[in-house]
Amino acid sequence: MRSFMHNMRGMSTLPVLLTVVAVVALFLIPNFVESTYALHIMILIFISVIMGLGWNILGGYTGQYSVGHAAYFGVGAYTTIILMQYRHIAPWYGVWAGIVVAVAIGLIIGSICFRLRGPYFVLASIAVAEIFRVTALNLKNLTNGAEGILITDIPPFKIGDVVITDFMSKVPFYYIGLVTLIIAIIVTWLLQNSKLGYYFQAIREDQDAAHSLGINLTFYKNVALSFSVVFTSLAGSIYGLYVGFIDPSTVLALDLSVQIVMICIIGGIGTIFGPVIGAVVLVPFSEALRSNMIAQAVIDSGLVNENSGFGFFLKEQLSHAHVLVYGILLVVVILYMPDGILGFIRKKLLAKRRKEAI
Amino acid sequence: MKRAVVLILAVLCIAPTIALAETLKLGFINSITGPEAPIGENLTNGVTLAIEDLKAKGIDVDLIKEDDTGKPEKSMAALEKLATRDKVVGIVGPYTSATSNADAKMAERYKVPLLIPAASKEEITRQNLQWTFRTSGTTGDYATILFDLATGLGKPKTLAILNENTDFGVSAATSAKAIAEKKGIKLVFEEAYSKGSPDYRSTLAQAKATNPDLVFMVSYVADAILLMRQSREIGLSPMAFIGAGAGFSVAQFASEKEISNGIFSSTQWTEDVPWGNSRDWYQRYEKKFGKAPTYHAACAYESMMIMGQVASTVGGDREKLRQGLKTGKWNGILGEVSFQDYDGYQNQRKAQMLVEQVQNGKHETVWPADLAAKKPIWPFPGWTK
Amino acid sequence: MVPPSHPHGLTRFHVRECPIHDLLLIKYRGIMSVFFQSMISGILIGGVYALIGIGLTIIFGVMRIINFAHGDLLMIGMYMTYFLFALFHIDPFVSIIVTIPLMFLFGAFLQKVFINRVLGALPQNQILLTIGMGLVMSNAIMLAFTSDYKILSTTYSSASFNIFGISISSPLLISFAITIAITVALYWFLYRTDTGQAVRATAQDREAAQLMGINVKRMSIIAFGLGASLAGTAGALISPTYYIFPQVGSVFTLKAFVITVLGGMGSIVGATLGGVIIGIAESVGGVYFGSGWKDVIVFILFLLVLLFKPSGLLGTSKD
Repeated sequence: MRSFMHNMRGMSTLPVLLTVVAVVALFLIPNFVESTYALHIMILIFISVIMGLGWNILGGYTGQYSVGHAAYFGVGAYTTIILMQYRHIAPWYGVWAGIVVAVAIGLIIGSICFRLRGPYFVLASIAVAEIFRVTALNLKNLTNGAEGILITDIPPFKIGDVVITDFMSKVPFYYIGLVTLIIAIIVTWLLQNSKLGYYFQAIREDQDAAHSLGINLTFYKNVALSFSVVFTSLAGSIYGLYVGFIDPSTVLALDLSVQIVMICIIGGIGTIFGPVIGAVVLVPFSEALRSNMIAQAVIDSGLVNENSGFGFFLKEQLSHAHVLVYGILLVVVILYMPDGILGFIRKKLLAKRRKEAI
Repeated sequence: MKRAVVLILAVLCIAPTIALAETLKLGFINSITGPEAPIGENLTNGVTLAIEDLKAKGIDVDLIKEDDTGKPEKSMAALEKLATRDKVVGIVGPYTSATSNADAKMAERYKVPLLIPAASKEEITRQNLQWTFRTSGTTGDYATILFDLATGLGKPKTLAILNENTDFGVSAATSAKAIAEKKGIKLVFEEAYSKGSPDYRSTLAQAKATNPDLVFMVSYVADAILLMRQSREIGLSPMAFIGAGAGFSVAQFASEKEISNGIFSSTQWTEDVPWGNSRDWYQRYEKKFGKAPTYHAACAYESMMIMGQVASTVGGDREKLRQGLKTGKWNGILGEVSFQDYDGYQNQRKAQMLVEQVQNGKHETVWPADLAAKKPIWPFPGWTK
Repeated sequence: MVPPSHPHGLTRFHVRECPIHDLLLIKYRGIMSVFFQSMISGILIGGVYALIGIGLTIIFGVMRIINFAHGDLLMIGMYMTYFLFALFHIDPFVSIIVTIPLMFLFGAFLQKVFINRVLGALPQNQILLTIGMGLVMSNAIMLAFTSDYKILSTTYSSASFNIFGISISSPLLISFAITIAITVALYWFLYRTDTGQAVRATAQDREAAQLMGINVKRMSIIAFGLGASLAGTAGALISPTYYIFPQVGSVFTLKAFVITVLGGMGSIVGATLGGVIIGIAESVGGVYFGSGWKDVIVFILFLLVLLFKPSGLLGTSKD
């Protein structure tokens, strides 16, 4: 079982420099890019990365694959939005409330589920998420049930008397997403190289051995879960505020849980940039499919006649194929790249280095 | 000679701008795919006919269609795209109450006129919105006409309500309760079910145990069929089944003869109405698309006709379009249409409702008497064995 | 549960005699009839659930793989049945003669091409692979046939008959009968044929079976094929009474897990029992807690079993 610890420690200057440049560029993008659509894609990517990084802490580093993380995403979203719509509590406080509620719930769930291993833990996590979804559907007085909650207006964010933003444009969401993302990456990096992180990875590698070395399994799993839940719930709150509408079938669905896992698997679990790559691959691709850009491009390039049967199929149907593509990607990655894209690249680089050493 | 050249050149310069002013960009959001697609198809077809008729009038519409798959967040994204990237002057749609409610708020934010053809949740036009207009009647209208029929034909005393827990279902149930109370009918059973559940047997058994005179149902297509199938199985047999349009108004439902016979359904239009050239329009639709239209098609058709006609006079100015919609009056297959403020509603058409009943696998207009084509069958004839 | 001093036949006599008691009795019978109605519906549906559970448990027993695409296999069975009916007018119950072998072949194909490659991988990866396969199946069907809900209408789709005031759905009863027949046939296969015994041996102890000369690879293929055909058959059996649409599988996958865990992973009797128990729990729970909560009841039951008796009612304690 490969350990990823050795690869990330002792980073050389080049990657660090590149990262700093990238971050600065990201901060400057809204000043130069006018297209709201581009901003929209970036925001979706940010939210996906945050979700992925959150899951990664529990799944990638600690080896506890939860396919029910939508529960925390949804709890974060619902708490923040319920407080805002019905109690008029500003979302910058509501987000914290969301985190607190989600972590509390996570700890309860953890104490129940962590004694289960492997596939049984997966199943239990799914069952829990589904319980949340159905409960949200039924507690109409709290969540408005299947009708969902539509946000009327986010209160403007003021410091003193100065209005910083009224959330009417996408730009504030862009920066919120970016800052949260950076924090998540930093936290993940700190965790990875800390004693906590070693305990997590020890649990992942061999639970029983870790236990025999005196690591309190339930305690550390719960710690990992708490970090994981904080970011997942944040992602949920930001998503809810950005999209402006939530209902159980969007923020508490099994599909979402699967998507969160996919982001990490495709990018490379147990790494810092795995979820980033996963999100950068999945989000634009699915958007491109959904908005028919790919179909349009294929037709425009002249490869396929617009009026032919295949062309018609492309135009009308390809936009609905984006989940199909997720599925195909998932199958391909598991079969041929179980360490994700990042792992795949690393393997190739290592193989190349080995060849050169000969 | 020189003057002629200048004149011709001048005309040539202006001509393109005139041509440009004629093609107008409109948006259309609909549930093209997804669970409501069977009804959404009616809206698409109605709009297609409208585009044809507008063209015949010299109005060239560049229609941009968006599929929201019945999901509010997708609908909102679609509206945003139409308003900001495609820069349409007005939008017709979407279909469901949930998506319409979400879009109405978006339309207000982006200040683009939105004309809702078929969604009936009352609240949509009770929020003091300036940019949303609604052709469709409300669930209050649906409930009123159904209970008028029920109390006109018999003396029902008790009521059971089975509604799906969506915006549409909940709104219709609330309207029904209010009207029933006014008419002195007692509510003995109520259940909001999750749409798409395949097994209503226990719910129906409980309803049957309360022995209701009327069973009021609100569902989209697939649920409507399953509900009635299982009602037959369980033997639920009240004085009348009254359905709030949607799934009960579709030909597919009617064609299931064993389970649809005698079911009433509220509607906003049938081919029997004396408005415009409805009968011809019905036959034209049937010929072109191979199936009978529901009232959704008529509403969508008329909405697009209205939008197209007003939008062609405003030269891309959304505010002017809004004014035009607010003050205009039209007469077509829905009869006289204007958008008024009344009873707490804004920009709402006062719809004349009708009731259809499935008789022998076909929908027949049975109420009100002056618009009816056939007599209603009352009470419910029971299930055939 | 009817008071012993009032045997069924005397009720009408009693009605004329005692009005107050009569009202209570009618209300009582109303409540009881709802209860029995939901019990019967639950048992009938439970039979179909059992089929799904048995398929999943065989797959787990032989390969230790949790097949997340199981519900989607059911969905494919439903579509197969639908098209056999719509295009060739073959009755859904009759068409299982075609569905069973076709689904078996499909399952065998899936095992050989995909599942086989991850038999040694992390269980989490195996689950993700089957999730991916499920997504591919349901979305491919959606692309091909749109996500419109299809309804299969046979002449008997809403037929029912009445016993003691309880109505029993004819199509459900027929599918229950067929389920029993199939289960019996399955037992015969597993306990009385050589291949069946080989499958059971592989499920009990894969290495020992291999040492005894059993071709475990072939057993895996047979197991998945069996599981697929059982799931597909379950789909065929409920198609006259359910909706047919591409995403119908996910609901059944989750239920299948609950059933197999409840009954004990790897135990066929357990899965049969589990199916019926879940069917009843759902149906009766739906009456008393509201139809919206019945899924929660099933999941809570699931968690309780996972926590307190993870090997299930009849499962072996082997992990």
